[in-house]
Amino acid sequence: MLTLYHWEPNANSGKPMLALAEKGVEYQSHYLDLLNFDQHKPEYLKINPDGTIPALVHDGKILTESTPMMEYIDETFDGPPLRPTDPKERWRMRWWMRFFDSYFAPSLSMIGWSVFVGPAVRNRDRAELEAAIERIPLESRRIAWRKAMFNQFSEAELAESRRRGAFGTAALEQHLTAHPWIAGNTFSLADINGFNLGYALPLSQPDRCNDEKTPHIMEWLRKIYERPATKATWAKGRTQMASRVTLLQRKS
Amino acid sequence: MLELYHWEPNIYYLKPLIALKEVRAPFTSRYFDPTSFEQYSPSFPQNTESGLHLEREGPVLVDGVTVLSSSFFILEYIAEAFPAANLLPGDAYEHYRARAWGQFAALQLSPGVCALGCAKYLAPTLKSRDPGQLKARIERIEPQERRAAWAAVIDGSYSEQALAAVRDRLAAPVKRFEDALGQTAWLAGPAYSVADIDAFAMLSPLPDVAPEVVSEKATPRILQFLHRMRERPAVRQALALAKTARPQEAFVPGAEPSRWG
Ligand SMILES: N[C@@H](CCC(=O)N[C@@H](CS)C(=O)NCC(=O)O)C(=O)O
Repeated sequence: MLTLYHWEPNANSGKPMLALAEKGVEYQSHYLDLLNFDQHKPEYLKINPDGTIPALVHDGKILTESTPMMEYIDETFDGPPLRPTDPKERWRMRWWMRFFDSYFAPSLSMIGWSVFVGPAVRNRDRAELEAAIERIPLESRRIAWRKAMFNQFSEAELAESRRRGAFGTAALEQHLTAHPWIAGNTFSLADINGFNLGYALPLSQPDRCNDEKTPHIMEWLRKIYERPATKATWAKGRTQMASRVTLLQRKS
Repeated sequence: MLELYHWEPNIYYLKPLIALKEVRAPFTSRYFDPTSFEQYSPSFPQNTESGLHLEREGPVLVDGVTVLSSSFFILEYIAEAFPAANLLPGDAYEHYRARAWGQFAALQLSPGVCALGCAKYLAPTLKSRDPGQLKARIERIEPQERRAAWAAVIDGSYSEQALAAVRDRLAAPVKRFEDALGQTAWLAGPAYSVADIDAFAMLSPLPDVAPEVVSEKATPRILQFLHRMRERPAVRQALALAKTARPQEAFVPGAEPSRWG
């Protein structure tokens, strides 16, 4: 029995969704609406006391870290391998996933939270929002939600996130100039990871990520977009966030 | 032949030393002193990843032409290259747990451990250097996050108040280790793994730099875990590679704490 608790095909939720689709593994999908704070409800906290998504439950075993979760998926299920056999490529896959997870993605998501997540909930009743914050288990997520809800990201931290977004974009372009895929010659979990963080870059950073300045990123994103697993996964999206992916459609 | 670029057997540097001893792999030791900024010299092995990696001054393992950085992934690399030593759990779920611990320690534990160690030991060491030269050297460091981490050691960023906040923030992650060690013999499950090597390197400075958080009284299981680790022959051999009398005082600025608070 395999159940995935997830939100939109995007960021951490999209990582196991796309990995499972690439493997061709069927699963019970349990959609949690992040903007409705479903991830902090008591039923879900029984599964993941941290109140973060995604979570994967496999025959009673619970996994809550999306990147190690993807390695588990690849290790456990039949289907095409999503990790290179060459040990150096495997190392490179892991190295870049860490760079994505703890440098690049948090900066992009801070901007996302300030322009999308915050405004989406901001006009609800103040007392209701305060109560919602109280229910968040992790201190770091409480801080994030407070800033998003009440528009408290400082100009300095947003500017630093934009700088890091630009720096990460340039580093990625340079990397993809030398390698067709993140790990090297093989499509891998690192591409799945990177796509989830980067599929909307051409929209969110149009002046930095485009056909002239970052042709390798654009080609890489389009190649991943064209994979049947990606199409099937993004079709599960329920919001406009997921439908942004169509910007990667090649103009014929 | 593998070549390991490392400093004293402490924090990030200790991890691959233990793993190489556990698997009994022959390697060439390339000892360097990061406080003299040898890792920035043109002859030091480098690639895109070693320039950008988030642990900054940490060890690098050179295998042929490939320069491997990021200490937990170096451990996985060594473990996969020498499978007979069983440093990776055979069970997929325990393997997941080992990786999740590696990630958790890197993000939640290491930044605080390095900050406290740098404040206590690296800052006074750097005080004895020529301030003008030191400042000029630090100003040339790229990328800017790495430069900022060094600047913080000498510019008074480590106020008592800031350090108290760092200790406070360590309480929750330390509790996770303490609780987990009450449930299984080792972090990933019944078998010893790379997760234990990884955690040992970052937990072992804590009774010294954060005694209010890690002590016999507050965290008996962690203390017992540290003790069990130190009894392993590979750990003893790795610690014996020290060149100074006080390797446990060797700290460098490590990964930065999360910017989300
Ligand atoms: N360490 C987890 C983090 C998961 C995480 O933070 N997910 C975000 C969504 S991408 C979340 O749950 N946010 C909801 C909240 O903070 O309430 C992982 O890497 O999977």
